Amino acid sequence: MLLHNQISIALRTPLIPIKPTLKHHSKNTAVFAQQRNAPPPATNFSISDESLSSRGFTIHRTIDNLDVDHLNTVFVAVGFPRRDTGKIRLALEHTDALLWVEYEKTKRPVAFARATGDGVFNSIIWDVVVDPSFQGIGLGKAVMERLITALLQKGITNIVLYSEPRVLGFYRPMGFVADPDGIRGMVYSRKQKKKK
Amino acid sequence: MPNNCTVLLPTSLKFCPPIVSLDCRCQVFSNLQFPLNLNFRLGRGSRNQRVSQPKAGFWDSIRSGILKNNTTQVIEPPSTTEEEEEPLPEEFVLVERTLADDTVEQIIFSSGENVDVYDLQALCDKVGWPRRPLTKLAAALRNSYMVATLHSIKKSTGEVGNDQKKLIGMARATSDHAFNATIWDVLVDPSYQGQGLGKALIEKLIRALLQRDIGNISLFADSKVVEFYQNLGFEPDPEGIKGMFWYPKY
Repeated sequence: MLLHNQISIALRTPLIPIKPTLKHHSKNTAVFAQQRNAPPPATNFSISDESLSSRGFTIHRTIDNLDVDHLNTVFVAVGFPRRDTGKIRLALEHTDALLWVEYEKTKRPVAFARATGDGVFNSIIWDVVVDPSFQGIGLGKAVMERLITALLQKGITNIVLYSEPRVLGFYRPMGFVADPDGIRGMVYSRKQKKKK
Repeated sequence: MPNNCTVLLPTSLKFCPPIVSLDCRCQVFSNLQFPLNLNFRLGRGSRNQRVSQPKAGFWDSIRSGILKNNTTQVIEPPSTTEEEEEPLPEEFVLVERTLADDTVEQIIFSSGENVDVYDLQALCDKVGWPRRPLTKLAAALRNSYMVATLHSIKKSTGEVGNDQKKLIGMARATSDHAFNATIWDVLVDPSYQGQGLGKALIEKLIRALLQRDIGNISLFADSKVVEFYQNLGFEPDPEGIKGMFWYPKY
């Protein structure tokens, strides 16, 4: 049944540009390969793993070798409040999937995204960041495409996120829709609690 | 049907229950009354021994509202900031009332209970949600950071050991254990809607999450229930931040 789900999802995935039908067969076999946690074929992404690697970037899918302090620096550089590294580490340990790009020259993370959820139905993407010095070259897109693929491979079909207004245009071309059917994202605020 | 107790509207209410008609995200509460398939799980013992002693003062006000020979529905007051700092017990009585047939019904809130996946599926059926595979439901519950439930316990007037326990509400939250929690799958049995139970469920869930230092609590609300959550302290699109869905099926 899991197999069936994965195939149907892969076939209906319009996000990742699928090369002409010649590749369809290999795509199907690729689905089986993906189940064994192999990275998806590079032809599925806007920028392939090889292309990234040739430019000095390495993709990582685990927190091994991730320096959380360096990651925190990137968070702060893009405007997040500085958070306790211990808490960040705790959050990373309780994450469904994550992806980060390492710049080989400095051995530091330059792009990152993670997703939490229940592992079967819903997944929320958080902390999508690209170091300001490395923005505009496709790293954010590379991270997002791979993260979404990883989530789809787990059979998760409801992938959501909260987007700041200025980056709606970043997520929309990837297939994200704001307020579909009038559904609103809401956040609890201790300050405002209306009582009837 | 044993559950068809008439809860009389109290003649004098201490606190007005908010009018809630819960149509939560992705879910439409239908008014269909499915034939009740009550699976009574009595394996835990005759009485619910795990109900912790409520704190004095606040709960006294609830108990004092229970009058003999009177079907009084008591809803606990909206929590104040002082109460939010009190540690929330994992399980406690939310409402206690006497029904028309003189049986006592308790509504129990719990945040630490293992939910029986069959009970949950029965409840999802009652509110009209599409069926989901049981194994996935079980996994989703296991992988949730917190699962809050409402159970109705009807105390037997006769012999000990015949209490009826039924799952009547649930809400769950996923979290990274540090910063963010997202609430999913909020549901209340249609027979128990309109009594403020959904509101209480979410309030308690929020409080439990805040007490674990999870600062960011979010959810996605169908347009019809945005106001319900606003009244609980949720803000839609704060600072223009939008919830986005990847290729939604709607």
